[in-house]
Amino acid sequence: MFTEKAKKHADACRFCWMCRHLCPVQLATGKETNTPRAKGLLVSMFNRGLPMDEGAARIMYECLLCGACTDDCVTGFEPPLFIREARMKAVAEGVAPAYATKLIDTLVETGNLYGAKEVRAHLDGVPETGDTLVWLGATARYSTPEVADALLSILKKAGVDFAVLKDEPPSGGALGDLTGYIEDVRVQARQAAEAIARTGARRLIVLDSYDAALFLHEYRDWGVTLPETVTATAFVDGLIREGKLTPRKEALTVTYHDGSRLARDLDEHRPARDILAAMGCAVVEMFQNRRLARCCGSAVMGRALPQLHARIARGRWEDAQRTGANVLVAACPQSTEALAATVPQGYTYQDLFVMLDGRV
Amino acid sequence: MERKAFMSDMIRTELEDVVGVENVSAQDSERLAYGVDYFWIGRMWADRGNTPPMPDWIVRPASSEEVSRLLTIANYYRLPVQIWGGGSGSQGGALPMAGGVMLDMKRMDRLIEIDEVSRTITAEAGMIFQRLEWFANEKGYSCQHIPSCLTCGTIGGALAHRGIGIMSTRYGKIDDQCLSMEVVLPNGEIIYTLPVPKHAAGPDLNQIFIGSEGTLGVITKATFKLFEQPETRQFRAFLFPDMHSGFMAGRDIMQKLKPSILRFFDEAETMSIIRSILGFEKQGCFMNLALEGIGRIVDIEMELVLDICRRWGGEDLGSEYGEKWYKNRITFFYPGHIMDIPQMFGTMDTVATYQNIEEIYWAMKHAVEDNFPGVRFIAHCSHWYEWGTMIYDRFIMDHPPQDPEEAIRLHNQIWNAGVRAAMAHGGVINDHHGIGLKLGRLMKEQYGPAMQVMQGLKKSLDPNGIMNPYKLGL
Repeated sequence: MFTEKAKKHADACRFCWMCRHLCPVQLATGKETNTPRAKGLLVSMFNRGLPMDEGAARIMYECLLCGACTDDCVTGFEPPLFIREARMKAVAEGVAPAYATKLIDTLVETGNLYGAKEVRAHLDGVPETGDTLVWLGATARYSTPEVADALLSILKKAGVDFAVLKDEPPSGGALGDLTGYIEDVRVQARQAAEAIARTGARRLIVLDSYDAALFLHEYRDWGVTLPETVTATAFVDGLIREGKLTPRKEALTVTYHDGSRLARDLDEHRPARDILAAMGCAVVEMFQNRRLARCCGSAVMGRALPQLHARIARGRWEDAQRTGANVLVAACPQSTEALAATVPQGYTYQDLFVMLDGRV
Repeated sequence: MERKAFMSDMIRTELEDVVGVENVSAQDSERLAYGVDYFWIGRMWADRGNTPPMPDWIVRPASSEEVSRLLTIANYYRLPVQIWGGGSGSQGGALPMAGGVMLDMKRMDRLIEIDEVSRTITAEAGMIFQRLEWFANEKGYSCQHIPSCLTCGTIGGALAHRGIGIMSTRYGKIDDQCLSMEVVLPNGEIIYTLPVPKHAAGPDLNQIFIGSEGTLGVITKATFKLFEQPETRQFRAFLFPDMHSGFMAGRDIMQKLKPSILRFFDEAETMSIIRSILGFEKQGCFMNLALEGIGRIVDIEMELVLDICRRWGGEDLGSEYGEKWYKNRITFFYPGHIMDIPQMFGTMDTVATYQNIEEIYWAMKHAVEDNFPGVRFIAHCSHWYEWGTMIYDRFIMDHPPQDPEEAIRLHNQIWNAGVRAAMAHGGVINDHHGIGLKLGRLMKEQYGPAMQVMQGLKKSLDPNGIMNPYKLGL
């Protein structure tokens, strides 16, 4: 059931060791099966008749789909491509791990990974239609509402009129990560696009970088049309450049974590750093920065394998600690969820939007 | 000794007691991942749908003490023990051919110390080497061990097979760069080699365990030299009319200078790989080199290099090709650029004195190309010394037999012919990939009566023969 493209990529990766040093999961566990090569080897074996059992399926779920391996590949092979399809096979054959099945059920039932019914971000008085729509994403709505609140507060202070959907539908990202890009994911994508279209928005500001990458890449591939789409970091940076926001400068040495979707999928590195500079912060870079950044976790991994998720986040903290800065900043709700839960003693985590909101 | 009924479960409980339940696995899909390394036969075997060799248990220790306890258990039950770092070895050195325990060392990946006064770095042996290099880079240094498998293999793997990097001509092989080690002996004792630059306290224990391929113990920690990053690195490429002139130019350069990179390609490799990656079209033997260090000194060294190469008929190609090669130095090893299944291929690297090296090149080329129709032979020299150099000889067969057993026989015949040709003309069985499963059968031919020294060590340190069976000819 693997596509020809996935088979070709798995066959290339099965005998290639070049990217293993970048895999944040492998670095956290030290397990050979947590390398793109081992996953490629197993997928190549499935294609040669090896049945996928529950153990093999579990291996396929121990991956953040962060794209560090893909980004490193000189020849352009993409382990996440066959890993997603392996998850599709695991679900179809009923061998997916129980936690994955449970999460899929939760997603189908509630539209979000958290099983939440009520949004925690404060949306009272925010219109649901308008030229500019802010897409918060499930993590900021249900898990890190302070990030959503900060962004909305910043926009208000800058005089931006915006709308937010009270019942923001799922983007399809989480379901796609859990089941591969099956038709149900495209259905969610179309429904999300329709909900966005109903607001009359001509501009879409996306807070969650996972959703931003999905909107700007997969949605386009699937022919799903959205208004002009911009990341929240790029938009807010633009407001500062245009003089609509003037942050109070307070000298502070920080290090900045590039979220994998922003840094690799969207190739966006500058806006967050410019915002930090506008606040008077000196950024001490981690060795693995920008496209080379080590992923710190994801909402899906956080719900699916919380202990592994915490170990991965602690790995990123170790990178941060070696810079000498004791403040770590990131600009994606899913990074905030991972990093804020694992702060080492003597260090501080700051979400970029929360930080900025306190200075404008 | 056969394990009956629930004996395996009893052993597993003991292994779990050491490293924790979550760090022992007997799951089929995990075991499969350890049955294929970079060795061509293992890859071909899996590609044709065969079941790879699998360990009975994968065990992931987190400390030297845990390794010690595991080896004690393995010795009691006479369990074969294999050690897995990155699994990127080309000689089948980590393959679990006898089942038993597979020690996956990658949980032991902690940085222990960077000593900026002495300029050394110490880490656990399960760390991927690229990460050690990054730790050094964070402080402004480099280990200068930059092999093509930098991102693939571990510290322990590099030491176990006596590896080498592209900067070796100036900075040395792994056995020059490693200063001291912690090793767990097969009986569980933890020992340390002497942590000093050089000594006269008997033979150097480092050199007993470096290259021992897991047959004498488990390397668990190592200390390496740190180098300041060079102020400048200058490239230059040349085209020589034949192999002889290039060898002689290389020798003369090495007698006077220490380039970091010195790579010399035969005409076949110049016209194939160098042409495809660098876009270089001329016929001849391509050489690229890099000089590095303090700018003023490098300028003078480059003048001397130009003089030497001119004297041996080398055409100066400027700096562009060398820079391009350096930029693409790892590109050569990604899928789509490197040889891959369904081709049959192998790297028969050898090393010898300048007196013998050219003869070896021709002897190996003839041994392979004249005896095995459809097999191509290409070569380059990439690690040079004052009195000799190595050759990275490769054979490639585009259409090997489909039958796995027939393919294995042919593969081994080609290897026997090539390596025996090298040894017959003053070369050695291998330069920097190690012996592993692939070449173990030829070790006695290489060493003759000297092999008893290694056999004696093996017998003394590993009397039950549990450590990495069938490897290194031990």
